Amino acid sequence: MKAIAGVLSIVLGLFLNVPLASAQCDPSVHTEACIPQLADGFNFVKSYEVNGEGGAKDKVEYSYVFAKGTQYFLNICAPGDQTDGIVVSLYDSNRKKVGTSFANGNFNKGIIYPCNATGIYYITFTFEGSQSHCGGAVLGFKR
Amino acid sequence: MKKLSLLIGAGLILCWSCDSGSKIDEQAFLDSLETTEENTTVISEEVLESILQQIPSPLEIAVLLKESGTNYDVELLNGTDNLANYNSNFQKALNLGVYGTDLGYTNIYEQNQDAFEYLTAIRDLANGLSIGQFFDFGVIRRLATNSRNLDSLLLITTKNFNSINASLQEQQRANLSVLLLTGGWLEALHIICQVTERNMNNEELKERIGEQKIILENIMLLLSFYSESNPNIKELYDKMAELQAQFDSIEITQTYAESTLEEVNGIVTISNNSTTTINITDENVAEISRITSSIRDYIIQ
Repeated sequence: MKAIAGVLSIVLGLFLNVPLASAQCDPSVHTEACIPQLADGFNFVKSYEVNGEGGAKDKVEYSYVFAKGTQYFLNICAPGDQTDGIVVSLYDSNRKKVGTSFANGNFNKGIIYPCNATGIYYITFTFEGSQSHCGGAVLGFKR
Repeated sequence: MKKLSLLIGAGLILCWSCDSGSKIDEQAFLDSLETTEENTTVISEEVLESILQQIPSPLEIAVLLKESGTNYDVELLNGTDNLANYNSNFQKALNLGVYGTDLGYTNIYEQNQDAFEYLTAIRDLANGLSIGQFFDFGVIRRLATNSRNLDSLLLITTKNFNSINASLQEQQRANLSVLLLTGGWLEALHIICQVTERNMNNEELKERIGEQKIILENIMLLLSFYSESNPNIKELYDKMAELQAQFDSIEITQTYAESTLEEVNGIVTISNNSTTTINITDENVAEISRITSSIRDYIIQ
């Protein structure tokens, strides 16, 4: 009986849990919530959906051309007030890390990057102990 | 025990049906590739999307112009009276991009009456492309009649353009999305070139023109996906290739430096001394401006 229950939980866990978690993730809810949280003076440019598909994906990546002389703000939104372990990191066109929201052991809500070097930047979201693996982010800019 | 067996059975059937469903989807996808192969170019959706979403917002250029002290000049924009000329999807998509940039420019300069005219033109073009559902015109009209609502108007129109792009990609009409972005980018380049030609001493504007080399490379890549299968896009691609040839003479040099991070109230501010240097001459600007105007004339005619 115990063995059957064990098999059942494994079968259901393997085949049902991951898709269910994925289906429950609606990143658009978080991107919408994030827009009003852009810091003062920043213009909204884009929103990014961060769907880790229940843990199946360990990172979600986007890219954007950042321009010299412009400040960019990336803000993370996740279930609850905090970032739920979602970290945003910025890499330059040579894939060198420019900065991250996870600093000194803290999960910060966002990053501000005053850009001095025009080029393609990679915006990478990772999940550090995230429960939901689900969130959103917005990108804003100002001169 | 029977209940458990039934549950396991149901679970397995459910899992099997999910799996068979994905096989059906897979087959449908493969079939669709075969049926569309002759008429359209099939590109990985992921690749296409990753390039499309890199293209910066034309709003950035409008903000730069305003903050550099440049006055608003409606003559730089494509008049909405040209709207009636745009009959094909090719023209509609390109000029939807053009008008989108013009709208952003009017928004940034708080010219809400002009903004409203562009919104009307955009709505008509979007309806013509069956993507007009993204415009809640009642809300937009309310926001546009009051300059204090500028932030909201900017936000809503930017969101609409993002939604339009996403929808076109979902509908497998990403070629129109590429045209929309191309039109928008070219209009922004046209505006900044015209302004810069009036004041060649503004190094920041000249640099910003030179930086467009990076974006143009991406746009050319996007257009190349469709240029073999679509004669209109091929013609546009060839014209843009002339522009790219001019940009090829501009050198962009990058210097790398390590970053430092500072945390304040849950936000990390990155200090980074990496820089780019852009070597662009007045002659480059004049030539880029000339070619851009010529392509723009072809688009907005």
